[in-house]
Amino acid sequence: MSRRAIIPGLVLVLLLIAMLAGVFFGTAEATWADRIAALMRAEAAPRSLGLILWEWRMPRVIAVALVGGGLALAGVLMQTVLHNPLADPYLMGLSSGASAAAVGAILWLPPWIATTFGIPVIAFLGAVLAFAMTLALSMRRGVILSPLVVILAGVAISLMFQSLTAFFLYVGDPYATQSALGWLMGTAAGTGWPDLWAPGLAFALVLVLSLTSARNLDALLLGDERAMALGVAVGRQRIVCFCAVALLAGVAVATVGIVGFVGLIVPHMARLLVGGRHGGLIPLSAILGALVLVVVDLLCRIVLAPEEMPLGVLLAIFAAPPFIVILRRVRVAF
Amino acid sequence: MPSDPAIEITDLHVTLGGAPRVAGFSLNVAEGQFHGLLGPNGAGKTTVLRSLYRAQRIDAGELRIAGRAIHDWPQSDWAGTVGALVQEGGTFQGLSVRDVIEIGMMGLPLSGPERAARIDAALAQAGLSDRSDTEAARISGGERQRTHIAQLLARGPQVFLLDEPSNHLDLCYQLILLDEIKRRRATVLATFHDLTLAARYCDLVTLMKDGRAHATGRPADVLTRDNIRSVFRVDGWLENGAMRIEAAI
Repeated sequence: MSRRAIIPGLVLVLLLIAMLAGVFFGTAEATWADRIAALMRAEAAPRSLGLILWEWRMPRVIAVALVGGGLALAGVLMQTVLHNPLADPYLMGLSSGASAAAVGAILWLPPWIATTFGIPVIAFLGAVLAFAMTLALSMRRGVILSPLVVILAGVAISLMFQSLTAFFLYVGDPYATQSALGWLMGTAAGTGWPDLWAPGLAFALVLVLSLTSARNLDALLLGDERAMALGVAVGRQRIVCFCAVALLAGVAVATVGIVGFVGLIVPHMARLLVGGRHGGLIPLSAILGALVLVVVDLLCRIVLAPEEMPLGVLLAIFAAPPFIVILRRVRVAF
Repeated sequence: MPSDPAIEITDLHVTLGGAPRVAGFSLNVAEGQFHGLLGPNGAGKTTVLRSLYRAQRIDAGELRIAGRAIHDWPQSDWAGTVGALVQEGGTFQGLSVRDVIEIGMMGLPLSGPERAARIDAALAQAGLSDRSDTEAARISGGERQRTHIAQLLARGPQVFLLDEPSNHLDLCYQLILLDEIKRRRATVLATFHDLTLAARYCDLVTLMKDGRAHATGRPADVLTRDNIRSVFRVDGWLENGAMRIEAAI
């Protein structure tokens, strides 16, 4: 079997182990026998532990895996269609746009919107708006400028939406502000089964879409003109990918708050393992993204137990070294 | 008896940045013919090729390849019929030289072994067999150009659209790769800055100036002192198959 076939299988096994660890480990004290019994829904299992494992930890772990996989997928798509190895939903302002829209919705819109489908949809619209603004700032006469200009435009738009979020929090009702602040820190705590439909649906939809477009995405790596010469409808492909990325970023923010760097770093890790062809890159990035976020979320729960660290904080600490390596590689290659 | 035209360009008009870049250009290239587009910078050569491989929006005109309007080709048939050598960079993130060649074969109905055999042959022709697994983002400009030409050779299209095929290539590979394309007797429309190379390979050439065809015919008939002076503002002419250049005017 080739390396390209073995590695995704291996990472998938690691993901399943990490997800099981995410379900088994936490602040609640319990024996291993009880934990396994609770997971198997055995009669002898303590009822409270069953509730913790099935109603608290399991939806949380699945949500984090879907968000991690989705953000990594978004990173792959952005880096390919923008020809920019630094592209990522966080650096390009999508996450900030989504969070400003979501915070605005939590503070100003009727509570039933926040508790139903409202937040993911509003966060998606915020991500679309931020992405459109970043692209508008990065283009001259319909041509996207250099990768670094695009990133700078993303940082500018990101700062603008962060200021808007701060303004919303400053003028908002103190009780609602407290809830929005906790959510903004980036945490999957409190995620329940009903919260999984949005990230699950978005992830499945974009995964299928990306895999069916894998050949066209490969052609885009050769440049827009070469892709056109190969018969790829580049404009249409780009719009579809932009919508997919905004959907994933919006839903990710609505589910766990702002989580940076997964979309930037994981696709590069996956490329090192299986190369740049999207048929292999897309599934591996999705699995690897899920693995990274599940592990970080688990560490967030156990490093300072019984206190819980925000997801974004620990992720940024782990992301810094690979980020520096990527920057150095990018400087060499472009 | 002349063959049917494989490439038909009728009254093409293209505007770029508000200025006309191609203004009423027409050309027919017969099947199996090697046709050169020559002219100074800004004459519209690349714009004609970009229009043909569907990367350039045109203002007016009709473009047909193998008898079919270029926008009527479905993606699968197009990739097997038309091969374009493009002067534009991609990121090649994570791709090996072999990957680049294989991506160019998308849509071709080939079995795995056939595909691999074609890629190996193209790698050998382009002198890249030992670079097959090298990262495409890290090879030299000449090796990159050879990779893209190898991609076309592996694909084996009926019509080659080549924008500056000799760019970045050393003398040896210019001859090896253009000889190979010529040997295939496919239809070729290629732009050249090197007029000696154009005279060596082209059955016919078109000299372009200000987006129009200034002269079309056999290289010896077109690359005359008067035409070279008028189009390139250079005192030069074709002599025994090689360009002799005296001075800029």
